[in-house]
Amino acid sequence: MGPLAALCGVILLTTAAAWLFRPIRGRAWRWLRLVQKTERVLIEDALKHLYDCEFRRAPCTLQSLSGALEISRNHATALLGRLEGLDLVNRSNGSYRLATAGRREALRVVRIHRLWERYLAEETGYAAEEWHIEAEHREHETSAAEAEEMALRLSFPRYDPHGAPIPTPSGEIGPAVGMPLTQARLGDVVEVVHMEDEPEAIYGQLLAEGVHLGMRLRLLESTPHSLRFEADEEEHVLAPIIAANVSVVPIVMPVATEPARHLSDLSRNEEARVVALSPACRGIGRRRLLDLGFVPGTLVRVENMGPGGDPVALRVRGALIALRRDQARFIHVTAAEKGVAA
Amino acid sequence: MTASATAPACVECPAHNVANLTKLGVDLSQVDFVVALAGNPNTGKSTVFNALTGLHQRTGNWPGKTVTRAEGSFGFGGKRFKIVDLPGTYSLLSASHDEEIARNFILFAQPDVTVIVVDATCLERNLNLALQVLEITDRAVICLNLMDEAKRRGLQVDDRRLARDLGVPVVPTAARFGRGLPELNQAIAEVASGRTVCKPHRINGQSPALADAVGRIAAGVEGLLPGLPNARWVALRLLDSDGDIAAALRSGEIARLQNASMPAAAGESPQPPPRAEPASASPDPTALVTEASTLRWRVGPDFHQTLVESIYAESARIADRAVTHPGDKARFDFDRSIDRLVTSRALGFPIMFVLLLVVFWVTIAGANYPSHLLSVLLLDTIHPWLKAASAAIGVPGWIDGLLLDGMYLGAGWVISVMLPPMAIFFPLFTLLEDFGYLPRVAFNLDSLFRRAGAHGKQALTMAMGFGCNAAGIVATRIIDSPRERLIAILTNNFALCNGRWPTQILIASIFIGGMAPPYLAGAISAAAVVAVAVLGVALTFVTSWLLSRTVLRGEVSTFHLELPPYRPPRVLKTLYTSLIDRTLLVLWRAIVFAAPAGAVIWLVANVHIAGVSIAAHAVRLFDPFAAAIGLTGVILLAYIIAIPANEIVIPTVLMLSVLVTGISDVGSGAGVMFELDSQSATQRVLEAGGFTLLVAINLMLFSLCHNPCSTTIYTIWKETRSARWTAVASLMPVAVGIALCFVTAQLWRLVSLL
Repeated sequence: MGPLAALCGVILLTTAAAWLFRPIRGRAWRWLRLVQKTERVLIEDALKHLYDCEFRRAPCTLQSLSGALEISRNHATALLGRLEGLDLVNRSNGSYRLATAGRREALRVVRIHRLWERYLAEETGYAAEEWHIEAEHREHETSAAEAEEMALRLSFPRYDPHGAPIPTPSGEIGPAVGMPLTQARLGDVVEVVHMEDEPEAIYGQLLAEGVHLGMRLRLLESTPHSLRFEADEEEHVLAPIIAANVSVVPIVMPVATEPARHLSDLSRNEEARVVALSPACRGIGRRRLLDLGFVPGTLVRVENMGPGGDPVALRVRGALIALRRDQARFIHVTAAEKGVAA
Repeated sequence: MTASATAPACVECPAHNVANLTKLGVDLSQVDFVVALAGNPNTGKSTVFNALTGLHQRTGNWPGKTVTRAEGSFGFGGKRFKIVDLPGTYSLLSASHDEEIARNFILFAQPDVTVIVVDATCLERNLNLALQVLEITDRAVICLNLMDEAKRRGLQVDDRRLARDLGVPVVPTAARFGRGLPELNQAIAEVASGRTVCKPHRINGQSPALADAVGRIAAGVEGLLPGLPNARWVALRLLDSDGDIAAALRSGEIARLQNASMPAAAGESPQPPPRAEPASASPDPTALVTEASTLRWRVGPDFHQTLVESIYAESARIADRAVTHPGDKARFDFDRSIDRLVTSRALGFPIMFVLLLVVFWVTIAGANYPSHLLSVLLLDTIHPWLKAASAAIGVPGWIDGLLLDGMYLGAGWVISVMLPPMAIFFPLFTLLEDFGYLPRVAFNLDSLFRRAGAHGKQALTMAMGFGCNAAGIVATRIIDSPRERLIAILTNNFALCNGRWPTQILIASIFIGGMAPPYLAGAISAAAVVAVAVLGVALTFVTSWLLSRTVLRGEVSTFHLELPPYRPPRVLKTLYTSLIDRTLLVLWRAIVFAAPAGAVIWLVANVHIAGVSIAAHAVRLFDPFAAAIGLTGVILLAYIIAIPANEIVIPTVLMLSVLVTGISDVGSGAGVMFELDSQSATQRVLEAGGFTLLVAINLMLFSLCHNPCSTTIYTIWKETRSARWTAVASLMPVAVGIALCFVTAQLWRLVSLL
């Protein structure tokens, strides 16, 4: 075998392997997930889909089910037949609805799913766009006892990290709060209380625009093509179809405060007072910043910067601590008034 | 609410929890009292520890954790004190590994005294931890350390005021100079024996909602477990969603503390509490946890933040009353000007490279002579002498071969190659660290490592890897973010360790330098070796990037880097401990890993199957594969049987070449590793064994990228406690090495076809 052929062969093999095995979207993993979709998993997913339809007040049909579960029509028909046989689902003129037992089962799975999302957000290093995907796998492998153990570990959280309520073990669920961002009034200050995590593409765009739970924003302009709003002293633009996946509640603005800046925007030797940590900073990262003394009211001074401007060395409560720029962005500060020692 | 902790029945009795201490691996024989040492990082806590214990100390790990634990003992007033150094933490609230260990020790082991070391120059920050410790235990002493630095910066700290405010003894010290230590001993002894009764300050919180919530849950905890000394703290933890404490409450672990905190002579106390069985510790812990999670919402949207805020506010208030700083604007000027220099855009990197070069140069130049001396002594003098002695008393040839030619030579080789550079490199590094320069290197390089998904401190563990990968992997403990620490562990092998430098230098000077005109030979072979080391650094970045985006995605990742003030290093102490540590490591490695490897090497060359040695069989088996990736079967076999130590790869290659080719005028016989003094003789042996320029280049590449030595593999396993990560760390470099060699070989053949 000639060296050229050998080289080409190996390069081809490597590319194929990389394509097959790249994380999450690799063909091999997709195939594995498909194989692991046992009948039980499909039933749970189908019930979740039906619950989702009910929640959105949209009709659930054969098409929507086969689309959501990525299975063939025939398979979906068989599945629905089975669900009907188990008295989990009722059919009425072409659309399907959850029966009482089916709703209970669906809420159980939704509870585990949202607990997992909460856990992944608080206790692991998964990025926001991965919470939902990971939870989708893990929810089927978690027993009720394990779920309760997790709930205790997390001290019985009420909301998942996207702002959706977590059903209680007995299957009660709080109402959805807020209205779509598209319905907010111009000029009102509103707070983001929920972000729909599906479809992935839209959620990804929201994350890319920096939208996060607890974000306060003011709608500046609303046209059929775009939504312009201001948040954290910056302007953002979203397409209405994307903005519709964000729920907000109006808030009564507290007394006008000084405009806040990001700690990362300070220049060398500048001093400022911490006013808040962004709600986008959560879990272990947030606890660490608080422990280091970045709590509201603290004076912070930029003492030094790395050769490329990153990281920033901050004098905070007597110690010199370096943080990266993307962490310093989470810390909102105002100008430090003179003569007040923290 | 804590009156019951100082039970009148037995004032002088030790209060520590024997069962839990034993579970934590603390040996309690001949110990009267147990003392825990807590404090922030960089407060001179280990200096206090050393000053208290002197040489009566030993280090190990916390059971099941890879966090270093130092333990020591001292005597005072006729009593024996065991002192346990807890990990340095900023807080006890976040439940990082370190914090969990420190918190669990104070909570469950119930030490007789907890000494909290605080930095007098940075009181407010340090009180944050002190106040949290005082919530858990009421037997504490504050060691107000670094008083010398505070004085230099013009700070006046009123220790009496502080003692009054905190309700526990406060002892000002300057542990570096031994000042204040007798007083500290005295205070520890008095608290331990119960002669001083502490009334520690409790966090009351500014928010009435917080105080109300804590009060209600604490009442619930006390109802559940009457007499628990820290019911309020347990309440705080429940409100703060602390899953561990909730679980401990449910499992009865906390209920057992209530029983243990009662002195042994419980019958004498007025109303002995009913000995609650842990399992049925009703009313109901779970109900309490649920109530806490309801109340949490009333305090505010972020309970944790409210709590941390109020602790810091209280620290600030107490510190403000205790510290006067008369107009000291210039207190950090000295540090700031050094920082400006060593992190400046123009000079930061040059200073760093020059310092690193100096360290490497001193190591290489300084190690040369002692290495030669050791080699002459161990290999050229003692070995023949032992051989002669064993021949004289008539030891059978195979025993003599296995023990002397195999095991002794393997161990001797490792000691002579490894010991001198280790004994020079690491003390130098420690001095730079003591001075405070190393964190600045991490600061300078962080943006580079950040792009690869790694931590700036990986620059330091990588640099240590250039000395010894096993030491580099232990050093990754300084990286407190789990994902980045794993990255640093998994990629450390790409730093060319000192066992591999000699291989690189030898092969480069024979085959690459040999091609160049003589006046350029030295420079070119040096450039080739540096190129391989730089390739290793590049591979570190590439693999770090890949790992952080694939297998390590879900691991927790946080970042912060403390830049401690510059302090003069303690030269003699550093040299002494560093030297002892390294020498012990080398000797241990030589005996545990290299000696058995020597035995295997000897056996492989001397055991015959069907008239041919195992080595020859293996070489013939490996040859086709080796040829495809541009190596030889001898090299592959050498890398397999010499896994335990890279230092003996070249001697093994030489021995095997002689064995396989049947050259008769060099070497000392089958299975006896050797090296030749003359380069041309070495070249002759290697070329007879099938070495070409391609094989030489690929050997250099493979020497960079192959599995870590077995000491390193063992260390990785110990540090990660995971077979999976150990396998990844061992196999990934081999895969990279085989791929690199294969591509090089094919490209080489392609070019030579043209």
